[in-house]
Amino acid sequence: MSLIEIKDLKVHYPIRSGFWNRVTDSVKAVDGITFNIEAGETYGLVGESGSGKSTTGKSVVGLEKVTSGSILYQGKDITQRRNRQLLDYNRDVQMIFQDSLSSLNPRKRIEDIIAEPLRNFEHLTKDQEKLRVLQLLDIVGLDADALYKYPHQFSGGQRQRIGVARAVATNPKLIIADEPVSALDLSVQAQVLNFMKKIQRDFGISYLFISHDLGVVRHMCTNIAIMNRGRLVEVGTRDDIYNHPLHIYTKRLLAAIPDVNVSERAAHRAMRQKVEQIYQSNRHDYYDDTGEAYPLVQVSPTHSVALPPELAHQLLAQESEAQD
Amino acid sequence: MAENFAQHSNISAADLDRLTREAQAEATPSTARIIWNEFKADRPALISLFVVVGFILFVMVGALFIDTPKMMETNIVNYFNRPLTAGFPLGADAGGRSILLELIVGSRNSIGIALGLTVISSTFGICWGLISGYFSGYVDWGMQRVYDFMMMLPMTMMIIVLVTIIPHYNAVTLTLIFSIFYWEGTSRLIRSRTLAESGKDYAAASLTSGTNRWKIIFRDIMPNISSLIIVDTTLSFAENIGVETGLSYLGFGLPSQTPSLGTMIANANDPNNITQYWWTWLPAALEIIILCLAISYIGQVLRRAADASQRQGTAD
Repeated sequence: MSLIEIKDLKVHYPIRSGFWNRVTDSVKAVDGITFNIEAGETYGLVGESGSGKSTTGKSVVGLEKVTSGSILYQGKDITQRRNRQLLDYNRDVQMIFQDSLSSLNPRKRIEDIIAEPLRNFEHLTKDQEKLRVLQLLDIVGLDADALYKYPHQFSGGQRQRIGVARAVATNPKLIIADEPVSALDLSVQAQVLNFMKKIQRDFGISYLFISHDLGVVRHMCTNIAIMNRGRLVEVGTRDDIYNHPLHIYTKRLLAAIPDVNVSERAAHRAMRQKVEQIYQSNRHDYYDDTGEAYPLVQVSPTHSVALPPELAHQLLAQESEAQD
Repeated sequence: MAENFAQHSNISAADLDRLTREAQAEATPSTARIIWNEFKADRPALISLFVVVGFILFVMVGALFIDTPKMMETNIVNYFNRPLTAGFPLGADAGGRSILLELIVGSRNSIGIALGLTVISSTFGICWGLISGYFSGYVDWGMQRVYDFMMMLPMTMMIIVLVTIIPHYNAVTLTLIFSIFYWEGTSRLIRSRTLAESGKDYAAASLTSGTNRWKIIFRDIMPNISSLIIVDTTLSFAENIGVETGLSYLGFGLPSQTPSLGTMIANANDPNNITQYWWTWLPAALEIIILCLAISYIGQVLRRAADASQRQGTAD
């Protein structure tokens, strides 16, 4: 059984207008997505800004009110608040936020910030609690003298480590990492990602890794889902997505990865233009009449894509031809 | 699970004391320390602090030793005694009552009302604003309609009417009547900041850390808007001294046999008093000016202490 099962999750925000302020339409931030996260894996959720990936993450951790669909954890639907409380759900599912500064309370000392989940979920003595906080600081590579300081006294990378330490404090099974490194510079990104991996090995944590940076996702994730306008357009393993992309949106995302090799600049440019041209001329094949993505069809045991079945198999055949 | 953490970290219980000491040596100064440094850097504000605190303590304690009914007895012999005559350092009024003693008891009454009013109305306004801003949705909608309704009532008229229809009112009932009407400004101010604060990630992080919503409101969000709260409360205290004074001046505040700063300033209604018997109203007027100025100095220091970029005090 999977650690967590997300079934047909929908998060719609109502648009009110007119004299009576009635609901006239809705923004479909997340529009019927289904995927499972296995224990110990890193599941990547990729998409452009506004594609609904953060909303999905917030729904899974219980911060967002879900319109319909279910999220099953230990056989219980945790979209209901009562079930979350019964399970002590957030003891097992924690979150790392994108903005490390605003996710740490500026009026609290580091000790109180990291100890917050411990105080709510585990009833430790004062000494045990302080020892645990010190160990957590050590695990994320910070010195003990951080204990009585305030968040604004740390650099971005250090603050993100504190955010990770807080998320790990109760030894959770799943951590939602909502673009954890996109606000950091590259050298610090690598540090934070590497110790996130180390923590994963040491404590057997699963991540739901939300990002728009395909390079980072390739480094971190075993399974990846591509999200576009609230729907999943392609789901597969790292190899499926990076080496055998089928949906035009995935291809466009991959084409957008910058390459620093100057000698092949012209070739990359031609490749990007080709993808863009396919997108412009064949857009109607990839999206339905309303401009939404199609339902997912499975093309291999691990690989699914949101296309009409005929087109999917046709593309798959082309793809394998190109490989040979 | 504890073993799990111990296994992956080099820190064990034996290091606890040493590391705690190290951390304390590096600790950031507390808020109280920062505020005190800020006062030390600003001489006028420090003097203001001593003046305000000293004066309030003096009138509160001093008034305990004064027999008010006896003091308020009319004694025609001392009719408009000039200042610095025997037994009357600040002179006497038309009833032959000592201005100094009236000033002490009157200040006690006026400041007491202002303090009570500030405590009650600010507490209520802050809670109202925090709850309304944090919960949003229907709760916010309902609470804001109550607010709109209260704002719509003509405040001074309502107070005058209430004071007239309540048979035996005194300082306590007057404070309560004022409190009904003076929480709105604070609540709107606090609500707007709460809306901004509750959208920040740390509030969400507290929620996922399993913290109760009420605890998030009062332990996470309230400390973060404390600078606003402190400044607003200080300034509304200065303002509230004026509220009672103004109404007493109009004759609808405290009953006339109870001395207050307002009733003393009301002496200036008589043109004779303004020109000839200036000592009947001038001390009270000066006192209000000095108090309000000093309090606003203190408010400025508190605001600077709350905002790191404006600080002038140096940490020692």
